[in-house]
Amino acid sequence: MFNTNKDKQQEPESQAYSSGNVDSGFGNTSRVGSSSGKTATLGATIKIKGDISGDENLLIEGQVDGSVNLASHELTVGKTGKVHADLTAKIIRVDGEVHGDISGKEKVIVSSTSNIKGNIVTPKMTLEEGARFKGTIDIDPSHANGNSSAASLKTSSPADKPS
Amino acid sequence: MTVTETLPSRLLPDILDRVVNASPLMILDVGMGVHETVEHFGQQRCRLHFSSFHDALLSPPVIDSKTKIGQIVDEAERQEQLINAWRRKFARLMDFQNGTVFDLCLFWDFFNYLDDPALKAFSDALSPYIGRHTVAHSLILLKPDTNVLNREYGILARDHIAMRPGNLGKLNSHPRPQAKLASLLKDFSVSHSVLRRDGLLEASLKAS
Repeated sequence: MFNTNKDKQQEPESQAYSSGNVDSGFGNTSRVGSSSGKTATLGATIKIKGDISGDENLLIEGQVDGSVNLASHELTVGKTGKVHADLTAKIIRVDGEVHGDISGKEKVIVSSTSNIKGNIVTPKMTLEEGARFKGTIDIDPSHANGNSSAASLKTSSPADKPS
Repeated sequence: MTVTETLPSRLLPDILDRVVNASPLMILDVGMGVHETVEHFGQQRCRLHFSSFHDALLSPPVIDSKTKIGQIVDEAERQEQLINAWRRKFARLMDFQNGTVFDLCLFWDFFNYLDDPALKAFSDALSPYIGRHTVAHSLILLKPDTNVLNREYGILARDHIAMRPGNLGKLNSHPRPQAKLASLLKDFSVSHSVLRRDGLLEASLKAS
């Protein structure tokens, strides 16, 4: 179950999401494996403005403006998904559109149908064949058990500059 | 379906050896991120910047001439204005984190799409992010040849480059000799160069 942030106003056309919307087709090979239990689906006609968090896997085929935090679960932005939000999850797969920063605690998978404007931080990154990406990718395999953070990577001192 | 070709590289192994101890390895790729490059560096701590600067070349800066009709145009001043405009444009696109210094720059064939003012401006704008140990790879067009343009590159292995057709067909090309290129680069000199069978000059660059 995940919760929309009730402090934030929803667009008039938004529909409240109810739990238990399990997509039985989620476990096919084109998706992130659903090893962490059931998967909720945010359908293609659903628009949400606000912050989403929860303790189950989530497939987004609709539109989300805000943030998504599923720290110990898996998140898929489907082909029809349009997400203007920072994303945090254990494993993140992007087949659709994401404008925002992506933090995958374990892994990030970007497919050839994706359209991403933002930066990616993860211990393990897969850019699938045919995918093209513009932005920054921080990879730190030593953080494979989570806790990957862009701030953990060095920025060299300007003193390194040649004189 | 897009066909990917594999190009052997004699210079890439030495370039990669020079940055093998960098952690995190700071990489600038002036093109789009492709799966080969991400896979190649994906097993080590690194930050990959895929900047796709080619997009900026589709809308070059326009200089408003203040010279009235009939007056002599000061070409040197116009060139300087053009360089400044390009410099501002590239500086805006280089929104790297403060203190960023790249260990490795993958320029691929980007320089071949820049005329002299744009190349000088690009070099100037990149200067704050070049350190004394920065190394780079470039493919230089020595003479007009459309067969080696409009390509997209990635690192397939330490001695192999992946190459496939790109989306740069609308861009003009600017062939130039190695010495001319070197004179326009502020922070780099050519370390080694090899003339490839396809006519491109493959060059390894080092900070100078």
